[in-house]
Amino acid sequence: MPVWQQVYEEINDPNFVIICAAEDVGGEAVAGPIFDAVNPTYIQVVDVDHIISSAFNFVNVPSSAWIDEEGRVVRIDEGTYSKTHAIGEGEQAITFGNDVYTPALKDWVAKGADSEFVQSAEAVTGNIREHSFDQLKADAAFRLGNLFRGHGQKEKAESYWQMARELNPDSVNFIRQNLTLTEEGSAGETFMQLMGDYVSEGREYYRPLDL
Amino acid sequence: MAEAFMAYPELRHPFQETPIHPNGSATVLYQGRTITLSETGGDDNLLIKPEDLGRINGFELKPEGACYADMCIPLNDELLLTREGEQWFDLTAFADLLEQPYVVDREAGVWSFAEIPAKRRNMMVDAMAPEFEVTDRKGNVVRMADLKGKKALIVTWSSW
Repeated sequence: MPVWQQVYEEINDPNFVIICAAEDVGGEAVAGPIFDAVNPTYIQVVDVDHIISSAFNFVNVPSSAWIDEEGRVVRIDEGTYSKTHAIGEGEQAITFGNDVYTPALKDWVAKGADSEFVQSAEAVTGNIREHSFDQLKADAAFRLGNLFRGHGQKEKAESYWQMARELNPDSVNFIRQNLTLTEEGSAGETFMQLMGDYVSEGREYYRPLDL
Repeated sequence: MAEAFMAYPELRHPFQETPIHPNGSATVLYQGRTITLSETGGDDNLLIKPEDLGRINGFELKPEGACYADMCIPLNDELLLTREGEQWFDLTAFADLLEQPYVVDREAGVWSFAEIPAKRRNMMVDAMAPEFEVTDRKGNVVRMADLKGKKALIVTWSSW
């Protein structure tokens, strides 16, 4: 999320990096202007094929991993918001995010392994989603759909994206990315229906924020 | 019901047909890379020239097998084979051996391979970050290995 620039500047540590990846099939044309609006100095990636989500088995955005100097994951797969956000005003306002994640991140960057927010390897591996053969296959189907989308073959794009969704029903990323092809968009009635089903089936799109 | 958010509606239907690869070629997708192969063989399976293996998945053919980092897969007649005097590597048999899923569109001649599970095993066992390789908006290749010695927050977002 581009708003991480402010946090990056506040931390201002040469041994800390942020890699901010836009999981966006629309590519630079879609994600570029949003990045540019905050003049980021962190590493910006337009991740058309959702390589980062796939590597860490994320199923939704915004999701994140903290990685220490040795390459060890010390937190993973939490709804990653820099602060509490509000959409709308008054009683109609919808709030999301939280105000505890950024202070925890700053504490970790300052204290390293001594930070109370560092999780054990056991806790971290417990939070990493194990992906089945079919869920891995979903990534291959999704990227095949992306290729056809990029070459103007809409029917094939849709069929492989649908295959990806069926192979990995946990992926909110696939649900919403697919809906960008529709007139209704990725946050309309269909999305609400699909997310209602998702939650009622007991799926979780983030691990609990244990801070 | 709130009106649906439609970011960049002009990009919703950007469908303009263009060829995926020249006639007679095949395309392999792997980890964000699109590799065009001018020479392939096989009917059901995808046979590639052995020298193309490295640029597809990073494996290198050595006397002890097909090797990547500290992993070596011994070769046999099903993986490395000769047909009409030409040597081929069976990429799909290799994937099956490694339990690497793939999806193929035979009409278009495109093979899309998922990640090789063995490359991710360390993350599931001892929480070591997985390898990945992406290109940033400045054109720099960013690899997990390049981050060693620094703390990193890797965070995803999207416009949708």
